[in-house]
Amino acid sequence: MLKVENLSVQKGDFSLKKLSFEVEKNSYFVILGKTGSGKTMLLESIAGINKIEGKLFFEQDEMSTFPPEKRGFGFVYQDFVLFPNMSVKENILFAARYKKIENSDVLFADIVDFLKIEHLLERKITHLSGGEKQRVAMARAIYSRPKLLLLDEPLSAIDPTFRNAIMKSLKEIVKRYDTTIIHVTHNFREASYLADNIAVMMDGAILEQGVANEVLNHPKSIEVAKFLGFKNIFPASMLEETYGDSVFSVDPNAILFSHTPSKNEYCFRCKVVEIMGITDHYKVFAKVEEHTFFAKVPKHMFNKLALEEGVQCYLCIKRRDVVFI
Amino acid sequence: MLFVYKKKRCGIYMIKDRGFLLIFIFLGAIIGLFLMVPLVQLFISVGPVKLLSTLQDKEVYESIFLTLKTSFYAVLFVCVTGIPLAYLLARYDFWGKSFLESLLDVPVMVPHTAAGIALLVTFQNGEIGDFFEGMGLEFMDTTAGIMIAMMFLSAPFLINGAKEGFRKVDVKYEHMARTLGASRMSTFFSVVLPNAKNDILNGALMMWSRGLGEFGAVVIIAYHPMVAPVLIYDRFTNFGLNYSAPVAASMILVSVSVFLAIRFVNNRFK
Repeated sequence: MLKVENLSVQKGDFSLKKLSFEVEKNSYFVILGKTGSGKTMLLESIAGINKIEGKLFFEQDEMSTFPPEKRGFGFVYQDFVLFPNMSVKENILFAARYKKIENSDVLFADIVDFLKIEHLLERKITHLSGGEKQRVAMARAIYSRPKLLLLDEPLSAIDPTFRNAIMKSLKEIVKRYDTTIIHVTHNFREASYLADNIAVMMDGAILEQGVANEVLNHPKSIEVAKFLGFKNIFPASMLEETYGDSVFSVDPNAILFSHTPSKNEYCFRCKVVEIMGITDHYKVFAKVEEHTFFAKVPKHMFNKLALEEGVQCYLCIKRRDVVFI
Repeated sequence: MLFVYKKKRCGIYMIKDRGFLLIFIFLGAIIGLFLMVPLVQLFISVGPVKLLSTLQDKEVYESIFLTLKTSFYAVLFVCVTGIPLAYLLARYDFWGKSFLESLLDVPVMVPHTAAGIALLVTFQNGEIGDFFEGMGLEFMDTTAGIMIAMMFLSAPFLINGAKEGFRKVDVKYEHMARTLGASRMSTFFSVVLPNAKNDILNGALMMWSRGLGEFGAVVIIAYHPMVAPVLIYDRFTNFGLNYSAPVAASMILVSVSVFLAIRFVNNRFK
């Protein structure tokens, strides 16, 4: 449906470097990356705001040189960008001034009902909370009947208590309004809930892309793994010599300590070097040769093992908890 | 209880800051009085009866009306030409931009009589003068002459005001409007202009009021028809203070009234 080929953009010192990816129709595509990785610039380039090198196809039409108003892509900015000179209702209906919206009355009523903004319609923009602004911005974008909806960190300004409910609504928008969503975020939990497909972006380049579960659970590079929150990344040769140059990772919650080695697991002789007490668990840092492992040990287990700094014991990992990168 | 607490807190601040506040109020009052007293004194010396009869003097009210009208036309012309320029300056970086911005401020700095001479040289003589004459537009002792004199010296107020206004409108509003289907021009009129409105209006009011008081350049290019500042000067030199003061008071009264009315309407419909 959307096909991006070798898209490059230069703005000052920063550039997007020959990005290529495809987004399927009626799918939820998440671009995941740190702040400053070029996510917003990429969305703006897709929307037609930035002049690009490379090609951009949408349903077989090349749109690389189309101005934003001819592309028919909706956009929701991180700070929502509601027009201050208009009421909530005028903001939502803005697109109808410039293009024909099919079944506009029915669509308007449905959006208002879906996003629960009936009571806000006559309000001024300045009198809305962050969550209300977000819903109005979504309503305005959906009302323009976008073939593709571009969301720039739409949940970052939202109170965490409302985030789950809004995420649920976002997921529903694809089917309900027959559209496709590209959502950029730095939050991989958000991505794992929403995404059908994911692209991981760093320093203006896409490092990895694919089906969400695959990318999130089996990253192909150390950089991506670190960004996704993988901890304890060490050479796989620690486990078995035959693994060669590859690396593995293990969840800090899956590390077990014991005073005796276990034959069915990977067990290493270790020395506890640091312990930090948190409310319901302890963060334990243990050294295996030159590598320092980080483990989260539940309080009851910690007391049972009588771990303390300087103690020598065994650090064990179950085979099923090892993720090779 | 909360109110009492706040009041008490406020009281503590007042006691602590009394010396600081007294110094600032005293210094502020000096300049405030300096600016206000001459105007009040003028109205007191003229008196309401004389003021009313002066306002009914045909030469005076025609002159005041001419001043208001010509300055307004100058503002309209700069709205059409200066607002696009202000937008370009606010949105784009280009070669020579700083130089152009400095150039736009030059009219505010030059002596007004010098500006009048420059306009006379440009529009009365030479090719530009001939070009406009060919179009039937003359500037010496005409309303058009008064308008260009006012415009030359006051246009920077509107252009700079509009520029500041446009800078305050985040460019993302424009991007957003365009993704919703608005063309570049529609975006400018439906989103950019309304959100920069207050600064543009302030700039326009500044330009208009600056135009009302323009004398130096106007008197060189068009002594006749007489705008109010020229009429005040004319009556002062020919008949003395008693004849010029009521005209001055009338002009101040009318322009301040119009100024306040525009501000009131703008605040009402904000």
